[in-house]
Amino acid sequence: MSIKSLLIANRGEIAIRIISTAKKMGIKSYVIKTTKEPNETYLQMADEVIEFPAKHDEIPEFLDIESIILIAKKHKINAIHPGYGFLAENPYFAKRCEEQGIIFIGPSPDAIYKMGNKTIAKQIAGKHNIPLLKGSVESIKSFTEAERIAEKIGYPVILKAAAGVGGRGMRIVEKSSEMAKLFKLATSEAQKAFNDSSVFIEKYVRNPRHIEFQIFGDKHGNVIHLGERECSIQRKHQKLLEEAPSVAIDDTLRKKMGEEAVKIAKAVNYYSAGTVEFLLDSEKKYFFMEMNTRIQVEHPVTEMVTGLDLIEWQIRIANGEKLPLKQNEVKINGWSIECRINAEDVQSNFSPFLGTIKNISIPRSKNVRIDTGIREGTEITPYFDSMIAKLIVHGENRELAIETALNALQKFKIKGIKTTIPFCKAVLNNKAFRLGKLNTSFIENELKELYFQEPDEELMAALFVIYSHAKELKSETAAVLNYDKGKHLTPWVLNKRIKSL
Amino acid sequence: MDKNGKVFKKFTDRKELYKQQFSKENIEKQHSKGKLTARERIDLLFDSGTFEEIDSFVTSSDVKFGKTSKSYGDGVITGYGKISGRLAFVFSQDFTIMGGSLGTKHSSKIVKIQEMALKMGAPMIGLIDSGGARIQEGVASLAGYALIFSRNVRASGVIPQISVILGPAAGGAVYSPALTDFVFMTAKTSYMFVTGPDVVREVLNQEVTFEDLGGASVHSKKSGVADFVFEDEENTLLGVKRLLSYFPSNNLENAPYVETDDSADRIEERLRDVVPDDPNKSYDIKEVIKLIVDNGKFFEVSENYSQNIVICFARLNGHSIGIIANQPKFLAGTLDINSSRKAARFIRFCDAFNIPIVTLEDVPGFLPGIDQEHNGIITNGAKLLYAYADATVPKITVILRKAYGGAFCVMNCRHLGGDFNFAWPTAEIAVMGPDGAVAILYKKEIAESKDPVKLKKELVQKYRDEIANPYIAEERGYLDEVIDPAYTRIKLIRSLAALENKHVNTPQRKHGNVPL
Repeated sequence: MSIKSLLIANRGEIAIRIISTAKKMGIKSYVIKTTKEPNETYLQMADEVIEFPAKHDEIPEFLDIESIILIAKKHKINAIHPGYGFLAENPYFAKRCEEQGIIFIGPSPDAIYKMGNKTIAKQIAGKHNIPLLKGSVESIKSFTEAERIAEKIGYPVILKAAAGVGGRGMRIVEKSSEMAKLFKLATSEAQKAFNDSSVFIEKYVRNPRHIEFQIFGDKHGNVIHLGERECSIQRKHQKLLEEAPSVAIDDTLRKKMGEEAVKIAKAVNYYSAGTVEFLLDSEKKYFFMEMNTRIQVEHPVTEMVTGLDLIEWQIRIANGEKLPLKQNEVKINGWSIECRINAEDVQSNFSPFLGTIKNISIPRSKNVRIDTGIREGTEITPYFDSMIAKLIVHGENRELAIETALNALQKFKIKGIKTTIPFCKAVLNNKAFRLGKLNTSFIENELKELYFQEPDEELMAALFVIYSHAKELKSETAAVLNYDKGKHLTPWVLNKRIKSL
Repeated sequence: MDKNGKVFKKFTDRKELYKQQFSKENIEKQHSKGKLTARERIDLLFDSGTFEEIDSFVTSSDVKFGKTSKSYGDGVITGYGKISGRLAFVFSQDFTIMGGSLGTKHSSKIVKIQEMALKMGAPMIGLIDSGGARIQEGVASLAGYALIFSRNVRASGVIPQISVILGPAAGGAVYSPALTDFVFMTAKTSYMFVTGPDVVREVLNQEVTFEDLGGASVHSKKSGVADFVFEDEENTLLGVKRLLSYFPSNNLENAPYVETDDSADRIEERLRDVVPDDPNKSYDIKEVIKLIVDNGKFFEVSENYSQNIVICFARLNGHSIGIIANQPKFLAGTLDINSSRKAARFIRFCDAFNIPIVTLEDVPGFLPGIDQEHNGIITNGAKLLYAYADATVPKITVILRKAYGGAFCVMNCRHLGGDFNFAWPTAEIAVMGPDGAVAILYKKEIAESKDPVKLKKELVQKYRDEIANPYIAEERGYLDEVIDPAYTRIKLIRSLAALENKHVNTPQRKHGNVPL
């Protein structure tokens, strides 16, 4: 069986992204229209639009497994692409597709299940000797036990309150001589805060980088990797800016980590696109974190440096084809950066910003790619993710890529809502960022101003406010009010008015 | 007259004496409370250099009890000047002189300026910042209040009267504002109550703060006493100016005309998409208002009180109009006690001052409930009905969606006296909504059916197709026309132009008996 038609169980930019590859491959694309955004751009790009049947429950449309399967069956669509988010990593959904004879474009239900469960995933990684962050399995109460475990996993370690949330009861222990004092502090703090003195011990990685490897496998047992991406610019575990390759990875390390990534994928007979995430410490030691069994939001940076269409690969593999390239044929060319443009108010703690796009001007130039589902008139609703666009650039090297990204951001204008564009500019202009000194605490530690301001922006804003205030005042008062017209009434009106008094 | 002579010197000395009353300390004291002085307020309100004060040397009455501090002007500044180029009269109470308390001379100054405003047919504005009746002057100050009230009532419906509360207004002092057409308040610095927190504590043993008892937020959201609330005094006084721009000076004139660059023939296609396909979904009626009126600008009255009805002033092709619109976003746009009263009073004002009324209707009916019935939705709903029926200014209604039952009649239907009644194709006009109607008419059939849900759905659809639409009303002439929503502005402007010289002869009577 080969894929002739494709149902996209997703929306927004990723739906458009998948449609464009489907068009290229001559596959008929179907999208789902919901009442929450009946006029969106992705609906106009697809070959066919299917209206989601009237809902009688609270399950959001794109999470409604049975209805989506029913839609595919009803329209005789033979494959489903889940995009990212929603049902992309739901093993039950992949299984239901399998049962109903629909090709699920993604890995096997078994692989999704195993990698989706963090405990199982870590067990598998451990079994294959992939480095993991070591720690105590159970909470500990005694100092001797703490000392013993810390000695085993090596300093520095972090003590976390077992019942803890946030940073309370958390202590970083640098060396064994500090353990006695800090253990006492951590446990008494935990006791005070949570009425439970027990703590966990874990290996502490200071200011790590987030490095992930794009891997691909086919249904014939072949697995390769397409190099790494660095996603260290994060806020509360939310990636905001990604790049490929990473300044921290040289050829040797790439080879080594890439092999580890392939190893873990092979361990679960992985096929389709996947991402293996690592933490990388300042001494270039890496630790396996987790594997994502879907196409990632940031997949375009890999596409830019490899020149490949990853969605096309996903479809071909789902079709049973072999991987088109061998590991030694994968070439990394130049540098790519992706800026996520979110409808968020950076100045009020990145809170979602709802509203209507009044005007949009998208930069178009060589080496710049914009993946987006918005246009003039699009309404940003609270129903979906706040990401509204991705700006992806390519350059011969990192400096040129940064320049291209800044130029493009300067020309990217979205009116009507607040976005993270000024934030992306601030990151790209940051000295430490330019030097490649990244880690997952970059935003907290390095970024003094969360948003970029033009030198005279405040002055211009003040002038603009004064101007519009003056204009507003004028329109309300003196000059424009014409009293004569109200006073000189026709005799018909005036006489009758007076008589009726 | 010799400039350096004795005669002139006495004159300048007196002027100097008057000035000295406004000491720097007092001014700073007022400023430290986040308030402006009586004089500063006047300067903000009037066009610069146009204000003329009168009675500045009227001196406080002699009293025999308590502390007396005789002053020129007796704690109130009165006068006239131009606001946006038009004559207006004002009194501005001065809290720095005897707490702005109302003594005999204080009240007679106010009465004098009120009478002048009425004689001249010009708006009267009161800037209120007063501790209340002057206790030392006893009954004389109470009599002063009563005199002011009687002038308020005499001027009602003849000249626009606006009260601006910029500090305390307690006891009798609250009733003059209540008698005027519109009440402004400034957030955090103004209070209004009949009995203050101290009395509440003594009589009822209840603890309450000034703000919670009678602050601007209470009166703009809960009681509806304040029609407008602004963050600070500057914006409050600008608001007064803005409001006045929609009014004529008196009940014989028409409102000022404003040249507009918004085309009278503007076809607004966005209006076609405003009403959702699903009749149970809500939308923001203010978006509709914005798309219809000149340059999308309107001035809302009582924005935060009884939000299920929106009332506002706006302009159509340069002419002032008053808009009454059901707001589907709140309580599904139903009419209840508060919204009926709110809209009724607004209609009375528009009618008194020759401002045409445009009604945008999407009302599923009156709000059902024990509370509503027990608190007199009948009498209160009748106020709105009376106000609409009694108004003789041009009255136009556009039915956007729902117009069910008694609420249809009340909201200016043709038989109540609407001059032009339009409807959008999305209109549903009937005695009740589809679900209710089907449940009553086909109670038995549905109960006996094998698939009651399906049958009900079919019947509801049938009801919609055959009854709950605008075409039956159009065929009977109950509606003048079913219109394309995009042409709403054009239709309103043309019909208002046709009604420009409308006049209705009303029977001779002292006055009607409004269900107050």
